[in-house]
Amino acid sequence: MSLVFSALVLVVFRHRSVRRNMEQSARTYASLVSKPLESLAGFLGSSGRGILDQQVAALRELNQDVSRLEIVDVRGDVVLRAESGVVNVYGHGTDPPTITDNEVLRAISMLESTAVRVTELDGTHVYRVVAPVVQQWGGHMYSLVSTFSYERVNRQFRSSLWLSALIIAVGLALTHRVSVTLAGGITREVDRLREGVQRIQEGDLDERVSVNSRDEIEELAEAFNAMAAELQSTIHRLREANRELETLDQTKADLVANVSHELKTPLTALRGYLELMTDGGLGEIPDEALRAVMVCRKNVQRLSLRVEELVQLSHLERFTSLDATREEVALRPLLEGIADTFRPRLEEHGIDLALRLDRGLPVLESNGEQIERVFLNIMDNAVKFTPEGGSVLIVAEVHAHDGRDGVRVTVRDSGVGIPSAALVRIFDRFHQVDPSSRRRFGGMGLGLSLVRSIVEAHRGAVWAESEEGIGSTFFVWLPIADRTHRSPTGARPSVRLDAARADRHAVEEG
Amino acid sequence: MARVFVVDDEPDMVDLLATILKADGFEVDTDTDGRSALARLLAEPPDLVLLDLMMPDLDGMELLKLLRLDPKCTSVPVLVVSARTGHQDQLGTLQLGANAYICKPFSPRELVRQVRQLLAAHQGDTCA
Repeated sequence: MSLVFSALVLVVFRHRSVRRNMEQSARTYASLVSKPLESLAGFLGSSGRGILDQQVAALRELNQDVSRLEIVDVRGDVVLRAESGVVNVYGHGTDPPTITDNEVLRAISMLESTAVRVTELDGTHVYRVVAPVVQQWGGHMYSLVSTFSYERVNRQFRSSLWLSALIIAVGLALTHRVSVTLAGGITREVDRLREGVQRIQEGDLDERVSVNSRDEIEELAEAFNAMAAELQSTIHRLREANRELETLDQTKADLVANVSHELKTPLTALRGYLELMTDGGLGEIPDEALRAVMVCRKNVQRLSLRVEELVQLSHLERFTSLDATREEVALRPLLEGIADTFRPRLEEHGIDLALRLDRGLPVLESNGEQIERVFLNIMDNAVKFTPEGGSVLIVAEVHAHDGRDGVRVTVRDSGVGIPSAALVRIFDRFHQVDPSSRRRFGGMGLGLSLVRSIVEAHRGAVWAESEEGIGSTFFVWLPIADRTHRSPTGARPSVRLDAARADRHAVEEG
Repeated sequence: MARVFVVDDEPDMVDLLATILKADGFEVDTDTDGRSALARLLAEPPDLVLLDLMMPDLDGMELLKLLRLDPKCTSVPVLVVSARTGHQDQLGTLQLGANAYICKPFSPRELVRQVRQLLAAHQGDTCA
């Protein structure tokens, strides 16, 4: 806005200076022209008309702005008028035109010089200069009245105005265009930078931003690229470290699995032969030797338990550190299978085993291997601590816990029981009720801590009740996932397991 | 007299298994190599197979699969003996057609009980 205003002010000032110049040269012209006219006035008589006309026409040529030249007598009557190439001479007897401007008339009558701006009848402005022409003969006094048009000056002003307007318009348009281009450039670079950040955010660490704007944005982009490169190398180092750890972890798991296998096979041979010897399968053995064989057998048994615990320890770390895969597990065949596994050992110790499984037991969304491990360990515990002639009862039923649907499995034994003070700590790692029980019953106390880890990983609950001398009851509650079906036939793996178990049952019954 | 075929790459294990079974009155054939065992099994199917899982070259799982492909051997009872105690391992072998699974280290009594049960069930099936 201020630009337009100052441009206008400039144009107006320029116009005024041009007009002043024009008026200045008009006055100079008038005073110059009045001199030759003093001598020319003599030709006002009809005899010299031709020369007069020529001279006046020549005088007019000297100034481009002069529109009319008049020689006026002291009364204001026009004697000669040169206008638009025509020269009229008004002699005696004619009715000459007269000067009407008061100021011009006053100057004419006083034979003085003056210059005034006059508004003509038709509304246009003119500049009128009066210069006295003193005739040296004939006793008449005249004045030269030169009228100048502002036409040229005004035309110049108008074109200046238009030119300024045009320059301003072009200037404004250019400014706008330039700023748009500049701003567009900035926006584009910022956009590029933003897209780069976004791609890195999405994990594409190879992304680099290329900005060549030679400004702060380019610096920002360079800083950003440096940061991205640093991030990439850090992530690379972390990935490498993680991969090494994973390999180590896998190596460890493999090692444990191999060691347990390598240990189990020779232990089987040892246990088998020792049992054959003590059971008389290899003929009569002297009492002394039999005692030694019994010691061997007992120690092999302990060694077997240690190996089993080693396997469990590896499971404990694996199952609690990783979210194990979930599958559909039918609880009924799983529990029946566990009962089958323990039956020989229970029969050996004269312990009675009973199973009470609800008809509508749902399929669980869980890790079958882990869930089996839970019940294997609880059963192992129950069998270990129940004296000969005792009993173990397994109950499984649909049961809500903390307002959530689920299944509760109860394992009740008629064992030695657990003191109430120790009951809260039996699920802790490496805990055993009585340190001497380790010697009596074997084990490092890992079984129940593994049970708790697995159950908690399945978002279930495990707890125990006990009365010393009467027995202990272990409760395992597992939630039913939303996706679980009520019918075990809906689950393919469990159906297969059912079928496999059914085969086995048919075998056993037949 | 039932004939039991024992396949295990560990000679001591083979010896133990044979001793236990012979002491209980079974006729026992043994092999410590999976491939030759398969050939002999297919040539003359026994009444029951005791099969170790972890063996070099041809392992127990593969042997079981190939054995079940032969019509003569589809119904021969197979008792798998393995150090693997996992639910998945057991399920896998049962799906491949094993009839039962016994984990190391086992007691001779448990082994004999399982062998007798499988043979009785198989005889029941063939009679029916």
